[in-house]
Amino acid sequence: MIEALGEGLFLVLHWKPLAFMMLGVALGFWVGLLPGLGGATTLALMLPFIYAMQPVEAFAFLLGMHAVVATTGDITSVLFGVPGEAASAATILDGHAMAKKGEAGRALGAALASSLVGAIVGAFALAIAIPIVRPLVLTFGSPELFMLAIVGIAFIASLSAPGVRGMVRGFLSGGLGLLCATVGQDPQAGIARYTFDSLYLWGGLDLVPVLVGIFAIPEIIDLAIRRTSIAGKLPAGRVSKGALEGVKDTFRHFWLTIRCSLIGTFIGIMPGMGGAVAQWMAYGHATQSARTAEERKGFGAGDVRGVLGPGAANNSKEGGSLIPTVAFGVPGSTAMAILLGGFFLLGLVPGPDMLTKHLPITFSMVWTIVIANVVTVIACFLFLDHLARVTTIRGTVLIPVILVLIFIGSYTSNNHYGDILLTLVFGAVGYLMVVAGWPRAPFVLGLVLGKIAENYLYISVARYDAAWLTRPVVLVLIAITLAVIFWPLVQRRRKAAHA
Amino acid sequence: MHSHASLALALGVMAVSGYAVIAAWFWPWKAALFPLAIGIPLFVLSAAEAAWVLFGKAERSEVQDFQLTRDVAEREVVRRSATTAAWIVGFFAAIVLFGFPVAVPFFVFLYLKQQADEGWIFSTVFTAAVWAFFYGLFDRLLHLPFPAGWAFTWIS
Amino acid sequence: MRLLLGLIAALAAAPAAAQYYAGKTVTIVVGYKTGGGYDATARVLARHLPKHIPGKPTVIVQNMPGANSIIAANHVYAVAKPDGLTIGTFNRNLPIAQLTKVEGVKFDMTKFAWVGSAASECTVLAIRTDLPYKSFEDLRKSKQQIVIGATGPGANTYDFPLLLKEFLGVNLKLVSGYQSSADIMLAVERKEVDGRAGSFTSIRPFIDRNLVRPVLRARATEPGVENLPIDEDLAPTPRAKAIMALRSAPEIVGRPYVMHPNTPPEHLRTMREAFAAAIKDPELVAESKKARMDLEFVDGDVAVKVMNEVLSQPKDIVEEFSKYIKFGE
Repeated sequence: MIEALGEGLFLVLHWKPLAFMMLGVALGFWVGLLPGLGGATTLALMLPFIYAMQPVEAFAFLLGMHAVVATTGDITSVLFGVPGEAASAATILDGHAMAKKGEAGRALGAALASSLVGAIVGAFALAIAIPIVRPLVLTFGSPELFMLAIVGIAFIASLSAPGVRGMVRGFLSGGLGLLCATVGQDPQAGIARYTFDSLYLWGGLDLVPVLVGIFAIPEIIDLAIRRTSIAGKLPAGRVSKGALEGVKDTFRHFWLTIRCSLIGTFIGIMPGMGGAVAQWMAYGHATQSARTAEERKGFGAGDVRGVLGPGAANNSKEGGSLIPTVAFGVPGSTAMAILLGGFFLLGLVPGPDMLTKHLPITFSMVWTIVIANVVTVIACFLFLDHLARVTTIRGTVLIPVILVLIFIGSYTSNNHYGDILLTLVFGAVGYLMVVAGWPRAPFVLGLVLGKIAENYLYISVARYDAAWLTRPVVLVLIAITLAVIFWPLVQRRRKAAHA
Repeated sequence: MHSHASLALALGVMAVSGYAVIAAWFWPWKAALFPLAIGIPLFVLSAAEAAWVLFGKAERSEVQDFQLTRDVAEREVVRRSATTAAWIVGFFAAIVLFGFPVAVPFFVFLYLKQQADEGWIFSTVFTAAVWAFFYGLFDRLLHLPFPAGWAFTWIS
Repeated sequence: MRLLLGLIAALAAAPAAAQYYAGKTVTIVVGYKTGGGYDATARVLARHLPKHIPGKPTVIVQNMPGANSIIAANHVYAVAKPDGLTIGTFNRNLPIAQLTKVEGVKFDMTKFAWVGSAASECTVLAIRTDLPYKSFEDLRKSKQQIVIGATGPGANTYDFPLLLKEFLGVNLKLVSGYQSSADIMLAVERKEVDGRAGSFTSIRPFIDRNLVRPVLRARATEPGVENLPIDEDLAPTPRAKAIMALRSAPEIVGRPYVMHPNTPPEHLRTMREAFAAAIKDPELVAESKKARMDLEFVDGDVAVKVMNEVLSQPKDIVEEFSKYIKFGE
């Protein structure tokens, strides 16, 4: 397998594919940065140019472009509190909070460094796991995937505020998210649920407009209230100096970053979990690393660990999501579906062969992701100064620009005004939640996992009747769920006993 | 503000989950199971939260989420929030009435001059830059469909 | 005399069309988001159509997803201008939506100005190869229940096997709710389900890989599966046959392309000719082969006939049909 790793690297290191990869990276940089430029849309737009390229170059281009989007999406999240990509929303909570404390440089440094670590660790975890990956994916059937969704939903408990009252609010928030996930046509009876006779709501609530509303709108209102720049009343010079500090943070909390990368890789490997889940699980795990109640309060207010976790996870999941695409022909996302098209261009058939006979090609893709990320991070560090300085511009000038980006960003999901309305409605909800002290992370998790949980539950019951509950992996996951819910409670009780 | 908002949200969630349960009651069980399994506990929990706010002691839970700034006096906060909300809704109205390509420069310019109190030259140049970027990228390059505003279709 | 007039008219039409379309932009409105099959087909066409439209206009693609493309269809039917510059492509099952009186439908499929269809959709049922059933007959005679995975009502992954179970008495359990047809293939590989129905094009890579074997198909066919038995032929009663035929009728018009009902006939003609020529264009053929798309032009008149066939079914058949088939994907 080591030879395959080496062969894979060799495949990538030809100047023409590398050049096209750089082109892809340059394009992907802007796609991740700007809300409104979706990865899938841009990939589809690039398809015509790909047919003119050589297959290997085409693939390097596509993959290079896609690999970078998660990294630069974090930049918009940190600087403006606007999710550049759905997968970068969790970074807003602590990343933008740090920017508001004048630590934009540090937050960006942390986001970039953890993205790089995530990409590399994810790639290598993947390489090591290749022998067990196929059996792993095949063992995780619908019952196991349902339980994984439940574990994710249970994380809601740990993402909540401390105390019973806090938990109630956390579950309220999560429950609301789960309920919102049921809007749309249901896949069992074909009934249009909660659509109020609106054709627009048939497909359910689209994630991006909701995310943009619930996170970006309160930030804008806050900016308008403060009447300052994003960085507040801090002197201009200090903002960008922190980048190195951010990198150091990544290594200070190295094991956390690694663990979050592994979480991301694992969720990426699981087909059907969706790209937005990994970051929230990682964020939840990062908050669990807080040892005292004081520390936990710091999350959401600018704890760098809240940036490291999601930053690493949303990059490592990219490498992971190659597996269902490459080894099973099941694309994990629309972008992967388009990449799959690129596959056929290469004359390759996704399947078990990609992990045995054609292993070097699979590894060449892994290497492309790694190199693309390295290049991006280096480029970003060069511009970091200028990027961080944005937070010193007068807030009142930034607000109209951010609003334009927000509105376009949500409009381009479906090219329907309904999306913007959705953003406004959830902007109001998000604002109320912030004022009322209800955590927003559980809502997002509920919204993302609701459909997955429901579908897999029905499939499990239809296929296995009640027997699915006794499958070994399911039992393990049930245990994990209980642990996730009750561990914080036990910890608190123990601390209260000691105090 | 804090407890008012929490009460408002709790009542809102009660209303939403209540409606959800009632609507789902008449669906075939396969479509209704999840909404009911979520809606009923949600109703109970939100009622509990509402009761807590109304009858419990005023407590501010330290939530792990971003907090609005507390540096500014509360009355100012309300005023500025309301103003911003009005601008946001107004922008949406402008988009629906005039279409994206017209609403964007219109809104940016108006905001800069009126709310941000910037000078004429700065406002004009900045608006032009934003509009050029928006138009160049989203209209020319990506061919996004921007419907003409209602005002224009009424006229024609 | 009439011939001469006709000839003169035709000769006059071509430069007139060239005058009309020169410098303009033709928009193809797709009822789905980027990345799906309808979108990919539209984009391939958009790249090669300009050469074949006199005047060489620009052709762009716009996505208008929502309500399984009912929104896009409503738009092209009533909102777009009837100037020959807007073409719509959407869900082939929209006639079913109209037939089953889905709320929100504001169009009449027979009244559109039909350019035609860019492909037909071949639905097959495929079973995992390591199962002992080598043909559909084996399947029918089997005492053991076979599990078929599906996405949801309205998609051919669901509707096709449902009718097989109801009318052909196949002992199958339909497990629905998978996120996409690719997820069903994964379930097949996991042995969670035994097979799936779906478009031949999307199942073909898995057939080539020898994971599944096709055993039955619907009316519309593609090279490679012509010899498979057809579900309608095996129907026990004329009513069953009518219902199966009703389900598969839209598949002939697999990638529908239409224009506003009041589009001037000369523009419609120009478009039909352009589509027919573009789909035969060797460059397009090469590109679509690379993208694993099988494009084939079906003329607008044929499409209108199919629409009329579907929408003029007697009431009792429609009623029974609606019991099984709901409009969805």
